[in-house]
Amino acid sequence: MGFFDTLAQWLGVKKREVNVLVVGLDNSGKSTIINHFKPNDAKNHDIVPTVGFNVERFKSKSLAFTAFDMSGQGRYRNLWEHYYRECHGIIFVIDSSDKLRMVVAKDELDALLQHPDLKNRRIPILFFANKMDLRESVSSVKCSSLMGLENLRDKPWHICASNAVTGEGLSEGVDWLTDQIKDLIVSRKK
Amino acid sequence: MKYSKSLLSTWEIHHRPRIAILQRAGGGNPFNNLEKSTVLQEARTFNDTPINPRKCGQILTKLLYVINQGEAIGSLEATEAFFAMTKLFQSKDPILRRLVYLGIKEMSKIAQDVIIVTSSLMKDMTGKEEQFRGPAIRALCSITDTSMLQSIERHMKQAIVDKVPAVSSAALVSSLHLSKNSQEVVKRWVNEAQEAVNSDNIMVQYHALGLLYHIRRSDKLAVTKLVSKFSKHTLKSPYAYCLLIRIATKLIEEENAGSGTPMFDFIESCLRHKSEMVIYEAAQAIVQLKNTTAKDLAPAVSVLQLFCSSPKPTLRFAAVRTLNKVAMKHPAAVTACNLDLENLITDVNRSIATLAITTLLKTGNESSVDRLMKQISSFMSEISDEFKIVVVQAIRALCAKFPRKHNVLMTFLASMLRDEGGFEYKKEIVDCIIATIEENPEAKEAGLAHLCEFIEDCEHTVLATKILHLLGREGPRTPTPSKYIRFIYNRVILENAAVRAAAVSAIAKFGAHCEELLNSCVVLLERCQMDTDDEVRDRSTFYVNVLKQQQKALSSAYILNGLQVSVVGLERALHQYTLEPSEAPFDMKSVPLATQPLVEQKVREAPGGLGETPSKVSADKAAATRQDLYQEQLAAIPELANLGNLFKSSAPVEITESETEYYVQCIKHMFRNYIVFQFDCTNTLDDQVLERVTVDMEAGEGFEVVKQVACASLPYNKPGSTYTLMRLPEEPTSVTGTFPCTLKFVVRDCDPTTGEPDDEGYEDEYVLEDVEVTVADHVQKVLKANFAASWEEVGPENELEDTYALATVNTLEDAIKNITQYLGLQPCERSDKVPEGKSSHTLYLSGIFRGGHDALVRAKLALDSSGVTMQLTVRSTDPSVSEILATAIA
Repeated sequence: MGFFDTLAQWLGVKKREVNVLVVGLDNSGKSTIINHFKPNDAKNHDIVPTVGFNVERFKSKSLAFTAFDMSGQGRYRNLWEHYYRECHGIIFVIDSSDKLRMVVAKDELDALLQHPDLKNRRIPILFFANKMDLRESVSSVKCSSLMGLENLRDKPWHICASNAVTGEGLSEGVDWLTDQIKDLIVSRKK
Repeated sequence: MKYSKSLLSTWEIHHRPRIAILQRAGGGNPFNNLEKSTVLQEARTFNDTPINPRKCGQILTKLLYVINQGEAIGSLEATEAFFAMTKLFQSKDPILRRLVYLGIKEMSKIAQDVIIVTSSLMKDMTGKEEQFRGPAIRALCSITDTSMLQSIERHMKQAIVDKVPAVSSAALVSSLHLSKNSQEVVKRWVNEAQEAVNSDNIMVQYHALGLLYHIRRSDKLAVTKLVSKFSKHTLKSPYAYCLLIRIATKLIEEENAGSGTPMFDFIESCLRHKSEMVIYEAAQAIVQLKNTTAKDLAPAVSVLQLFCSSPKPTLRFAAVRTLNKVAMKHPAAVTACNLDLENLITDVNRSIATLAITTLLKTGNESSVDRLMKQISSFMSEISDEFKIVVVQAIRALCAKFPRKHNVLMTFLASMLRDEGGFEYKKEIVDCIIATIEENPEAKEAGLAHLCEFIEDCEHTVLATKILHLLGREGPRTPTPSKYIRFIYNRVILENAAVRAAAVSAIAKFGAHCEELLNSCVVLLERCQMDTDDEVRDRSTFYVNVLKQQQKALSSAYILNGLQVSVVGLERALHQYTLEPSEAPFDMKSVPLATQPLVEQKVREAPGGLGETPSKVSADKAAATRQDLYQEQLAAIPELANLGNLFKSSAPVEITESETEYYVQCIKHMFRNYIVFQFDCTNTLDDQVLERVTVDMEAGEGFEVVKQVACASLPYNKPGSTYTLMRLPEEPTSVTGTFPCTLKFVVRDCDPTTGEPDDEGYEDEYVLEDVEVTVADHVQKVLKANFAASWEEVGPENELEDTYALATVNTLEDAIKNITQYLGLQPCERSDKVPEGKSSHTLYLSGIFRGGHDALVRAKLALDSSGVTMQLTVRSTDPSVSEILATAIA
């Protein structure tokens, strides 16, 4: 990074860039969440199942995010691990109306936490209990207990209920993630 | 592939300044000496955040370079590099992104899980950034297999009709590539392709037409419609026109049609197109067609003639190259251009000049040869090997055409042999000299001397062994065989094992043929017994022992003429023998003979058909093993399994007209005591199914039908075979006969709508033409390289001699053809070729008669006013065989 970049960042003109990984089961709403953050003219109106991954960029109040929106379909989940090493944060999207597959999501989360690239890092994980507007959806508290999040002690995590279609709860979650990543960067500099 | 090249060139444009600077600085190619592992190591930089587009671009370029240099990258390493590369999608840098597309395409076949980039590419393909869209489509199609194709089908259809030409072209070409594996899916895009043909862009139109043709390729009617439709309404793109001409040419070739068809008229009309490309394509298509008359050719040739004096070198080159290719086929047409070709001899472009001269050589007359040869030798050193080969081929044609000029040509070839050149080039020269030696006895001494000189300093083992074999065959029969021994023995001292072994064989042949050299040869061979190589030692020991016996018969059988069996057959027979060990020694006569003469009769094609040569070679190979195939087929039928070894299978003979209801071919398989007639039947009536098909043969004259193997069912247009087994007469001399045949079967009529056959059938029969068994069917052709030795070996014991007057033939050539055909024997020592202007000739024929008896025939022919007189001498190891052959002509 050049001198001018550093200067611009210090002055707050240019935002610091970070990578986040967006994972979760298929049809949980990952691409829709990312779509919500995009500026209006770049928004995609029909979201189709992602094959592989998509790179999207969006900004929060003080960071520029590069999101790797991974495919959630069963046969592509083993490809997530290729992107663990370079990410600064993880967004894990859960379909809170799909109680049946909550255990599958838990399995995937456990596999992710046990992965050598993530196991020993204090990487912040943001959980979205998505589709909160649906009638059969469970609360975020119930969701966290179903996912066994109380046992997750070595990494900062946060869960918030969200509705990706209207955007409810999304900015709250991303604000938390922004703070966590900034803290991490500051503590690493010291 | 063309398009990845165009992409690469854009990439090159981006990087050329950098390369140029480095080169000026004396660095040469910056990508030289790249290590695969270092580059793969560097590729990990792709994982860094934030991405440095310049640096990553350089590394990716290196990676692409390494892959394109042919370095093999393991699947694991490739996958790692591939996933690192996927992270470059973060960057929006256009150069980097396009390099990533290239990277995806290159690695799509070596890395795993490449589908990871599907969504990213789909986003780019439908995105706003126009220069990403085309390349993204190409990359996407390279990672998509049939199972994934469904998911991108909608986008592909849209892209084909996109209004941006680059996108549409990319989609069309990618569809073409996809159709290799997913023909069915791509077929559904035909409407979109149809729409794209109407595009204003010349490339899109061309690609769309290409795809349309590809989709309909297997349906001839649809292709015909396609051509006639587009030949009427005018296409914009000259490329599309060229493609249309090629399609039309292919149709004409397939139908074997000549001029006068709408297809030909279309091609002819293209001669007046305004684009030079189209005009040339049309002219080229016309001159290469098989069935054309002088009238059809004239406009095409005059177009080419015009191009010959064009200021554009490409046009001149194209025209002269085409003329060169067809020079042998249409000499008269090309002669018309002679004046223009003369002007091109001094063309600054050497390739054009070479082609012009060789064309003139092919069409020219004897007097101009000297002048042209002088002209061409002035710049032989300036042209590439490829064109030197063209020159050699022209000389080869000349040698055949003007045997009297062999002196000039041989000297020229010899000087070319001395020059530097690659293997292909040298091989062509050697082949040319060998062909000349065999065609023209006067050139033999000089040719052999040149070849001897060549092997003194020859780095190509294949050529050296080939020449040594030739020396062994031809050398002993020259007036002074001793002078070749020195050249050959030098090889034993100086060369590698393969050449040494060939040299040993050659020396042995001299020893066997020339009595005065025998002792010296034995001494030389005894020295070779100390050789370091097994093969050389084995050969020399074997030859020394045979030569020391001093028996003509032994030398002839084991040195001069070698084994004549089919290698596949020998392998199978030996395998069988080891499986069932018996007290009896292995019988060499039970091994089927090699059907060698096929290769021998191969006519060298005119250089125009360069592309066809490989297929012809493979056809020869197939022919050589044809008999082995039959043997296996027959052995698979239980009724015919125990007849022993197949001696000979005749070529198929039609015994119906080819347009009749039932089409039947007969193949005669000869065994020691039996004949099997194989009838290949085809039912050409779509409303009938034939069942229990047999062929009744009326035997007589000692022949006896033993068994019939019926063909159970013969549906429409599916060939089936039925067999009839016949015992040969006890009397050894009665071998020929004519047998009337009738096809017998049960017919079941089919329902015309459903094609279901009726339950009830009725018997019917169909009279076929007679099947004839001739003397030739009992004889297998075997080439004796040294006829005289075999003649002595068989000896005069069962010799028969008779004189005939052949009143019906008027030339020696015809007489030779007839005799060879009647007897079914192989002409030896090129005695089937009569030197020009001679009135007498001796024909040597050799072969093996059923039962493994050697059969040799010497026919002395003399031409006089009343016809041809022949003195026929037959020698054989069996008296009845001599009798059969001697009476066969009468």
